Amino acid sequence: MSRIAIEGIAKSFGRHRVLDGVTLDIPSGSLTVLCGPPQAGKSVLLRLLVGLETLDAGRITIDGQDLAALTPAQRSIGYVPQSFALLPQMSVFDNIAYPLRMQKSPNDEIRRRVGEAAAVLRIGGLLEKRPDQLSGGEKQRVAIARGMLKQATVFVLDDPLVGLDFKLREALMDDLKDMRVALGATFVYATSDSLEALAMADRLAVLDAGRLIADDGPDQVYHAPPHLRAAELIGFPRCNLVAGRAGGGRCATALGMVRLEGEGEVVLAIRPEQIRFTDVQSGGLHGVGHVALIENLGADSVVHLDVHEIRLVAIPTTESVAGLDVGDEVAFAIDPASLSVFGAASGVRLMQGASS
Amino acid sequence: MSGIVLQGIRRSFGNTHAVKETDFTFPDGSVTCLLGPSGCGKTTLMRMIAGLERPSAGRILFDGCDVTAWPARRRDVAMVFQYPVMYRTLTVEQNIALALDNARVPRTERRTRIEAVIDVMQLGDCRRLGIDALDIGTRQRVAVARAIARDCAVILFDEPTTNIEMHAKLQLIRAFKQYRSRLRETITPQTVIYVTHDQTEAMTLADRIALMRDGAIAQCADPRTLYDRPDSEFGGWFIGNPGMNFLAGRADAPGRVAFDCLPVSLAAPGGEIDGLRLGVRPERVIVGPAGCGGVPGRVLRRTLTVGGQALLLLEVGQSTMRARMSAGTIFDPGEAVSVHCSPDHIVLFRNGSRLSMSSETIEAA
Repeated sequence: MSRIAIEGIAKSFGRHRVLDGVTLDIPSGSLTVLCGPPQAGKSVLLRLLVGLETLDAGRITIDGQDLAALTPAQRSIGYVPQSFALLPQMSVFDNIAYPLRMQKSPNDEIRRRVGEAAAVLRIGGLLEKRPDQLSGGEKQRVAIARGMLKQATVFVLDDPLVGLDFKLREALMDDLKDMRVALGATFVYATSDSLEALAMADRLAVLDAGRLIADDGPDQVYHAPPHLRAAELIGFPRCNLVAGRAGGGRCATALGMVRLEGEGEVVLAIRPEQIRFTDVQSGGLHGVGHVALIENLGADSVVHLDVHEIRLVAIPTTESVAGLDVGDEVAFAIDPASLSVFGAASGVRLMQGASS
Repeated sequence: MSGIVLQGIRRSFGNTHAVKETDFTFPDGSVTCLLGPSGCGKTTLMRMIAGLERPSAGRILFDGCDVTAWPARRRDVAMVFQYPVMYRTLTVEQNIALALDNARVPRTERRTRIEAVIDVMQLGDCRRLGIDALDIGTRQRVAVARAIARDCAVILFDEPTTNIEMHAKLQLIRAFKQYRSRLRETITPQTVIYVTHDQTEAMTLADRIALMRDGAIAQCADPRTLYDRPDSEFGGWFIGNPGMNFLAGRADAPGRVAFDCLPVSLAAPGGEIDGLRLGVRPERVIVGPAGCGGVPGRVLRRTLTVGGQALLLLEVGQSTMRARMSAGTIFDPGEAVSVHCSPDHIVLFRNGSRLSMSSETIEAA
């Protein structure tokens, strides 16, 4: 068992505050994804866990034990860093085996475990090579294999798939999930790719500018984002943000009115799949847009609509996109029940679902 | 003949053939993506076109002129790399200006060109910033701006968006496409060859995609055709997010083949069962509550994907397969379901190659 409790941690580099009072509970045996844009503080948080940085404030415990008392080597944490430093004079095999040799594991165990990890990561044929004979993607897989070999109950993976071949990423996502189940370990996994985060996470924590702005199951974060930036950062294509002004129980936007309590400037977050191409208006938000761009992603088509001064991005059903062309006029409607409404200045969610 | 023509081009390193003998034409003003996994030869092919690598055999023609022996700088080619070389002490604007200096663009023309590319690549807000202040996506927009400002006949892209997250990636591609459609109103724009391993990027950008595997072009077609009618299992797997499901065939009654995802067996084409596999796209697999016909299955995993859709991993008989469901439909892991695959949307392959047969033939079987 290894439950990680992060309590009010802060970290600055000079005057730059990288983490600003982050509290996060990572359940034992979970695959918790930290998602956020570059510079959000993800890597620093992971480095604090591993022990490569020291805390300015707050504390981190694993199963109640304060990590401050432990050196990096004493922590039962396997680490796959973002910039992987392989030892150039050693073969791939020896690079992967390095942590096991440090732990003084017997040779036959080393051979077996390196072989297993290499098979999962599809680098079995490279074990005799030296790092300078490998491509970037191959080096990355060697680094993952090395990080995963430590006898540990927690594994920390810092954007392990970045820059890898698209299809390889797809396969490795499944492999890493299977690996976690097989190890029965807790994974803490950082990425800036929101689709990767949704595919991997059973718990999704969103970091933005050093603050934790969401922490829940991926479905909850997606369908009921607690913060404007979480709505913006999680989901592909990105959700549409439409400004509104609330007052007198209503909220006026460029796309129509919805019922809303409260006063002041707000932002409505509309997911691309919530924009339905239909002439039937059930009140609420609707309009007519001009098709500015259609992107064919294979299974889906992404349609960009210009409506007044607003650019909306929609993922319509296959039937409603058939025969559609750039320049066409399209009537659309948005079900207010699917909206999230946020304070424009605070970013805090005011309401989940509105009515017309 | 205009455009770029490859005649019997080949590149070997000792006994390994990075690019096998290839004949291919990139039409004047077209955008072609060379798409494939790492090691498929796409970068080597592009580097030969750029003049950074000499072919072991064959000729390269630019507008009918043999350039095979020409060095890179003679070829009128601009390149955008995965890691662009930029001057960190200079601003965005100065970096673009320098490229024009080096290309000996007349002073009178420089200002207009710089303004044009800054506008089209949406760099107005950061024109006076140093390169270090930019995130990697913006940095690549500068690299693209610099390449198009030079106004070469050919632009080559070597995986320029590998390290950029999806949103910024599409922003870059949209800006580039917009620039192209503006150009097209007046002139024939540059011939573009774009190397990538990312099929989403290739689908959104290219007029046509040349899918590469093991040093050869496996199939070249427009994105829609390549997605709907892949010639090979490789194409069906490589294109798609995730790729096609493949299910192995089992002998049923004599001459008939059964697949786990179909309730009835099919007449095997030519009566031959060996090497038969069925392919079906995840968005074409229909999942309903248990007991609604089709075949029984069980949900192993559920995650969210593009547009809030649910991506289900299903266990169906001895096979596992993926299904994409519209946002809002919820089946949980462990749940029993029914699985339907319409004959309209299944494709049969034998030993990896698609069998051309209509859905009527499949249905009649």
